[in-house]
Amino acid sequence: MTQYAFHFDGTRCTGCKTCEMACKDYKDTDLGIAYRKVYEVTLGQTVKDAQGAITTDCVSYPLSMSCNHCDDPACAEVCPTGAMHKDDQTGLVSVDAAKCIGCGYCHMACPYNAPKVDRDKGHSVKCDGCAERVAAGEKPVCVEACPARALDFGTVEDMKKKGEQAAIAPLPEPGYTHPNLYIKPSTDAKPAGDASVKVANPLEVM
Amino acid sequence: MEAAFAEMPLALFSTLAPLGAGAFVALAAAFLAADLSDDQLKKIDKMTAIPVVLVLAGFVAAFFHLASPLNAFGVFAGVGTSPLSNEVAVGCVFVVLMLAYWIWALTGKMGRGARKGMAVVVAVAALVFAAFTGLAYLMDTIASWNTPAVPLQMMGYCLAGGAAAGVLVLGLAGCGEALGTSPLKVTLIVLAIAGAVIGIGAAAMQLSAASGMATPFYAGGDLVDGVMMTFVLGAVCLAASAVCTVLAVRGKSAAALGGAATVLAFVGILCLRLAFYGIQLSVGLALLP
Repeated sequence: MTQYAFHFDGTRCTGCKTCEMACKDYKDTDLGIAYRKVYEVTLGQTVKDAQGAITTDCVSYPLSMSCNHCDDPACAEVCPTGAMHKDDQTGLVSVDAAKCIGCGYCHMACPYNAPKVDRDKGHSVKCDGCAERVAAGEKPVCVEACPARALDFGTVEDMKKKGEQAAIAPLPEPGYTHPNLYIKPSTDAKPAGDASVKVANPLEVM
Repeated sequence: MEAAFAEMPLALFSTLAPLGAGAFVALAAAFLAADLSDDQLKKIDKMTAIPVVLVLAGFVAAFFHLASPLNAFGVFAGVGTSPLSNEVAVGCVFVVLMLAYWIWALTGKMGRGARKGMAVVVAVAALVFAAFTGLAYLMDTIASWNTPAVPLQMMGYCLAGGAAAGVLVLGLAGCGEALGTSPLKVTLIVLAIAGAVIGIGAAAMQLSAASGMATPFYAGGDLVDGVMMTFVLGAVCLAASAVCTVLAVRGKSAAALGGAATVLAFVGILCLRLAFYGIQLSVGLALLP
């Protein structure tokens, strides 16, 4: 089996969201559904001292993420029908629409906000790693669309050489699901589990 | 609370099913501890339609939660691996046992020994079902739900709600005097009070723990503040239900007090379940519906 993985370079990403839009266009997703999302991660505070001087240590960094096609996907582990499954050839996690009952258990369990129930379609939807493009020797459309070349996709062995396993805030510790996402963090990025960070665009990534 | 109301079908399922199932615990206690006449047993069997309908209504409500209910039979594929499949499988076993017992009893051909045996089996299955309903929410990626307090509170709701519904059935069957006899009276009082204390206590413990948690999207304290009024209303109603059940087993106006206890238990458990759904806190980036 060849396990595929994503790479995200936080030192290159500008947060332009071209990846997100390219995915929406390619997958023709509806309003309210996005398989790749860009999280605007913020931290710090602005304070006014006794003399009226205002200082700030606020910073913001973008994090582009879709499904991480985890080694131990929480979504597939809780799925009651086996609709959410991991391909034994590529390691990509996808939904079998014919089996899915749309219970939303996968959405609840995934700590990366990847699956979501599309009630119009009647089943869960999520990034499938552009499996058909990968089979044809291409990379996922989000990777090809990134103007800053902040995203990459390939075998997990190759992606591991480019960064650390997803361990920056606001992501959870990778030990929960062992995600196949390898990150080169920006200088402002905080470690996974750091409680000081917030996501500034929650409505955009729902 | 918006997130909690989005889960209304599940809240209704996890309210109605344990409430109805718990009635069979109270009925088993009645068959074991009271000397009931054939006429009373016949009336009890007719009135047992009430908890049967409550349980079945809970399952129907759960179907409204699904985006593709026609694929629902596929849930058995995950038995042993998916907590949801385990819950549904145990629930189905309980329903089969419940219907087998009820239909057999309605035929009038069930001996007293068989009745006691079957009632105990259905009562045990009801408690196991309530526990598995809670266990379905335990996953290590949802920190605020991943606590033994969840199955514990479901068992508490099953006991307290079941005592109320059981007393309603016995009251409507004209068993007011039998309710007042010592072993049954004490048993039902213990079921009602212990159930309410366990249910409310476990829910309070869970809320307390959740208030100290946070995700990049939500502060646990804010979510707990948002559901606090619902939790308080639920706790007050469930406690009032237990009081009505205790008053009902004195024998006078058992049907009316049992009815009041059942309605209060329904409102109380539903509020506590909505509060539960309103405090979902992931270890990562999961967003509330």
